[in-house]
Amino acid sequence: MSRRPPRGEYIETDTGNKVARKATLVGTQNIMLGGKTVIQPEVMIRGDLVRSVPSSSSSASAPGSNTAVAIGRYCFLSRGCCLRPPGRLYKGAFTYMPLRMGDHVFVGSQSVVQAASVGSHVHIGAKVVVGEFAIIKDYVRILDGSIVPPNMVIPSFSVVAGQPARVIGEVPEGGHEAFELRDLYKTVGNNPQPAAPS
Amino acid sequence: MATSFSSKRHSILPPISQAGPKPPIQFSSSITIADSALLTGSHTITIRTESVVHPRARLDSSGGRITIGRRCIIHERSLIGAAPGGGLPTTPSRTSSLLAPPREGVEEETAAGPAGVTLGDYVTVEVAASIEAGDTVVGEGTVLGVGARIGTGAVIGKHCTLTPHTIVAAGDVIPDFTVIYSNGTRRTDRRGVADLRNKGQARQIEVLRRMIPSNPAKFQ
Repeated sequence: MSRRPPRGEYIETDTGNKVARKATLVGTQNIMLGGKTVIQPEVMIRGDLVRSVPSSSSSASAPGSNTAVAIGRYCFLSRGCCLRPPGRLYKGAFTYMPLRMGDHVFVGSQSVVQAASVGSHVHIGAKVVVGEFAIIKDYVRILDGSIVPPNMVIPSFSVVAGQPARVIGEVPEGGHEAFELRDLYKTVGNNPQPAAPS
Repeated sequence: MATSFSSKRHSILPPISQAGPKPPIQFSSSITIADSALLTGSHTITIRTESVVHPRARLDSSGGRITIGRRCIIHERSLIGAAPGGGLPTTPSRTSSLLAPPREGVEEETAAGPAGVTLGDYVTVEVAASIEAGDTVVGEGTVLGVGARIGTGAVIGKHCTLTPHTIVAAGDVIPDFTVIYSNGTRRTDRRGVADLRNKGQARQIEVLRRMIPSNPAKFQ
């Protein structure tokens, strides 16, 4: 038996990302993590589905242009969720487009996110399907089991639920404090700390 | 401060455990199948020309042969050939014959064993969708949405669309051009875009075969 300390469940990077060893990240060179992001086991991120048609306006090889999935800080990807870039026919050719995610985004377990962009402080519940090219703005709460149809634009401070998802209310005043994920970040990892009493 | 992982980190892609026997396969030379796709079972798995199997898709032929038509796309985490009886409702009309032991006379006719799942051409099986084995048929150009579940013996027509999390009962027969929503409502798709959809699928496959490193030799 080796005398090394047992390997932790998570890989902790210098920028504070906690990536589970059992997460399936495909095409890791195209996945950008902003730091302090938690990726739980059995999460799947499809970084290999990169944009295949260069955008017409900008220069062809801008640095970082072939990022498939960009994730901000303090994001929390729960067990079994799946992030994949959306794809569509664009000028007669099929291409995938990058999936951009802001800060403090929570993705519940078994959810599949194929949005074009997810803003900051977004809470996506469990077993949610976010359709291709949906745009989710800041401070949005998507309840469990919702199916966000493709191309839907969800305005800021909305609460969304249903199959298909509809705006059913808005985040109450002062309710945006609940979107902070700093405390949740501390409760996972190789030496997790107990959740702070609320 | 952006961090990108180098592809050298092997721990990021955990090894796949091959559970069960390696199935006999019949692959066309032009298919794209990811290295980390999972093929198990004892019956033949046939994949026709230009189909794409994403990483971590699972094909389980222990319940019968799996036949995948031309230009199909099987997305990640989907499960084709699940064991029947996964808590799905059944349609009474066909249940009795389905739950009865397999008809031996029929089985002997086809030397390759019972039919498990048959996918027509241009079928898309989205992320985490599952299809139960037991003579289940999915017609040409049908899209199975994210997390959809198809019961054993169901027959889905051509060019149908199943929205995410739809459940099709075992033994259900769905006519061509049906759209099924996850709350159970159905309508008929009269747009007549089947040919366009097939063309789009062909374009998508062109792109995917450049992106997904194919390794059919691994499954030999």
